Amino acid sequence: MMTANTSGLDVSALTLRDALDLAVLIEEEARDRYLEFAEQMEMHRTPEAARFFRFMSENEEKHRVELAERREKHFGDAPVNVTRAMLFDVEAPEYDEARAFMTVREALESALRSEEKAASFFASALAGLRDPDVRGLFGELHAEEIEHQRLVRAQLAKAPAEPLVHPSEIADEPHAID
Amino acid sequence: MTTVALGPKDFKSELKPIWCPGCGDFGVLQALYRALSGIGRAPHEIAFVSGIGCSSRIPGYTTAYGFNTVHGRALPIAQGIKLARPELLVLVAGGDGDGFSIGGGHVAHAVRRNFDLTYLVMDNQIYGLTKGQLSPTSPHGLETATSPYGSLEDPVNPLAYVLSYGAGFVAQGTPADMPGLAKIVEEAIRYPGFAFVNIQSPCVTYGQEVQQMKVHKATMKTLASVGHDQTDRIAAMRLAQDYGKALYTGVFYRNPEPPPTFEALVRERQTAQGERPAREKILDRYLQRAT
Repeated sequence: MMTANTSGLDVSALTLRDALDLAVLIEEEARDRYLEFAEQMEMHRTPEAARFFRFMSENEEKHRVELAERREKHFGDAPVNVTRAMLFDVEAPEYDEARAFMTVREALESALRSEEKAASFFASALAGLRDPDVRGLFGELHAEEIEHQRLVRAQLAKAPAEPLVHPSEIADEPHAID
Repeated sequence: MTTVALGPKDFKSELKPIWCPGCGDFGVLQALYRALSGIGRAPHEIAFVSGIGCSSRIPGYTTAYGFNTVHGRALPIAQGIKLARPELLVLVAGGDGDGFSIGGGHVAHAVRRNFDLTYLVMDNQIYGLTKGQLSPTSPHGLETATSPYGSLEDPVNPLAYVLSYGAGFVAQGTPADMPGLAKIVEEAIRYPGFAFVNIQSPCVTYGQEVQQMKVHKATMKTLASVGHDQTDRIAAMRLAQDYGKALYTGVFYRNPEPPPTFEALVRERQTAQGERPAREKILDRYLQRAT
C-alpha cells in the first residue's frame, strides 16, 4: 500500500523497525519545515508567527528524540532502510501554508491543518497494516496527533481575534538581509 | 570527478532565502538539494549559474560555486564555463522572464549547440521581483499593474520552444510534487547534453490563483499516467501544445541516442589538430608579451 505522502515505501508491509524509522523521519521533516517557516517569518518581519513556528519546531524535535530513543532501545544501530526521499509533507505544513505577515491565528490554523493531515496519514495507514506491533505504534501515533489537534484548538480559542485590517495590507514590502 | 555520499543538507548554504513565504521556489530548492544528493558530485565540482530575478538567487542557497550573472545572460556564461572546465557539473537557473524574454535569444543557441548543461527555469508567468509585470509566459488577457486592460500577447511556450530547437531532454515539474520534481531534476542532470526543465513555480505574491500550489496539486497529471512515450518527440510536441491549459509533469522528451556535446566536439577537433587546450595557449601568448 502506497500513500499520497510516501513513495517507494509499502506502508502495509512495514516492520516495527522501519515503522519507527519512518516515524522519526516524519517528525524530522516537520521539525525542519517549521524551522524554515520560522526563518521565513523572521526574514519578513513577522515575529509572533516566527516564535510560534519555532515553538512547533522544538516540539517536533522532542517527539523525534523520543521516537529515536525507542528505536535505539529496540534495534540498536541496525541499518535504516527508510529515507527522507520516501516521504513528503506527512506532518510538515505544506510550503504554501506560509505567508508574510501572517497572524498568530493563521499560524495556529496552519499547524492544525498539519496535525489533521498527520492524523489522516496514520488513520489510512492503520487500515492496511498487518504487523500487530506496527499497528500498535501507528495507533499510538494517531492518538498523539488527535491530542495535538486538541491542544492547538485550545490555543486557537485563546488567540486574539483577527484584526479588522490584515497586517499584510499595511506592512512594508519585504527587504533583503544578506 | 569525485563521487561521494552526500545528503541534501550538504548542499544547503548558510544564506537564508529571502523569497516571500509561500513561494514555490522553496520547494524547488528542496528538490534540487535532493537531486544533487542523488547525483553525488561534491559541491566544489558544481558550477551553478543564474541570471537576475527571484529564482536567480537560488545558487546562493547552495554550497556549489555560484555565479549570479547579468539579466538573461546565464546561458552564455554557463557555456563558457563548460567549455573551459568540461569536467564540472554545470547548472543554470532563472525565471521565465530571464530565460524567455531578456535572455530569449540565447536559449535557441544553447539548445542547438548541445552543451552538457541542465537549465532549470522557474516559470511563474510574471515578473515577481519587480512587483508583477507581464512576463513572456503570462497568459493572454492577464491584468497587471502595467497591463490594466489585460495582456494583448500570446505567451511564449517554453516547452515547445526548446523542443523545436532540438533539445535532447525536456521535462516539466512543480514543487507541489517535490519528490517528483527531485527525480526529474536528477534525470535532467544525468542526461549527457542540454537538458531543460520547466518548473511551474507559483508566485505567491503576484501570481494568479489558478497557478498556485493547491491548484497544481488538484490538476497536475503525470506524463506516465497518460501513457506518454518519452522517446517520441512528435508526441512530446503535441503534449507541449497544452502549456498553459494542462499541467503535465515528467519527461516530455529524452533523446534515446544523445549526440556528442559541443564541448566534446571541440576537444575532438583540438586533439585532431594537435592543439593544446586554449587556456594554455592564451597564457603562453600573454607570457611571451610580458617578457
